[in-house]
Amino acid sequence: MRVLIVGCGRVGSRLAADMSAEGHEVTIVDRNQRQFDLFATRGVLGPAFKGNFVIGDGCDSELLKRAGVEGADAFIAVTEGDNRNIMASEIAHHVFKVPRVVCRLYDPAREDAFKNSGIHFYCPTLVGAAAIHKLVEE
Amino acid sequence: MYLIVIGGGTVGYYLSRDLIERGEEVTLVEKDGARAEWLESQLGSIVMRGDGDELSFLATTGIERADAVLAVTGDDEDNLVSCQLAKRKFHVPKTVARVNNPANVRIFKTLGVDVALSATEVLLDLIESELANKEPARRSAAQP
Repeated sequence: MRVLIVGCGRVGSRLAADMSAEGHEVTIVDRNQRQFDLFATRGVLGPAFKGNFVIGDGCDSELLKRAGVEGADAFIAVTEGDNRNIMASEIAHHVFKVPRVVCRLYDPAREDAFKNSGIHFYCPTLVGAAAIHKLVEE
Repeated sequence: MYLIVIGGGTVGYYLSRDLIERGEEVTLVEKDGARAEWLESQLGSIVMRGDGDELSFLATTGIERADAVLAVTGDDEDNLVSCQLAKRKFHVPKTVARVNNPANVRIFKTLGVDVALSATEVLLDLIESELANKEPARRSAAQP
């Protein structure tokens, strides 16, 4: 599977490393070279990582084309900004017709507003709060 | 008409000022407190401090009765989300977005924004027609 990940933070870098290790063709995009260096230093995206790095804005359609969005089977938006994740995901889904698009949103209200758009949303706020709640009451 | 302007930068300020002068009812949304105070000192009590991309805040602006939302911050993604929330959650008849990356004019239209305007594209069109010695006729608004 060809996977394009926008946002090289803790989640993006971990996902890129795991999917690359499983044999998927991974490209990861971030605005800052620093992020790639950071997670390379931490060993997440070490020498074993076989994927590609692309530096640039994941909301820029031209940049996404250069990163291979047109041939991607899956697109994942995990930058720190909900609006950036929404915009990148909508471009991938509506403009480039990527078959599977997953978007992280911290704000549950935004998830509610956008949920019927064919994009798969993941809200760590709701999932995290429920998980912690469960741990506390166990 | 009741118009909500999101983003109190240079564009949002002059836009709101001129709309008020034309007799329109305007609410200007600005997230920065100090900037919002300055805007209020210039334009009066039409300024609301808050995030134009937060549903709960937008609900306090009287957006349900707005004729149009004009999102003119410097960030394309914020303008897109403000317009989409206005459309999807509050059924605002007309949404207008300022676009910084000219490629987004077409993309915003695809994503449901009624009008997307790029200053860069307007200037390019103007220069092009000046150089070609023509009337600057072409407008770069993406109309549905």
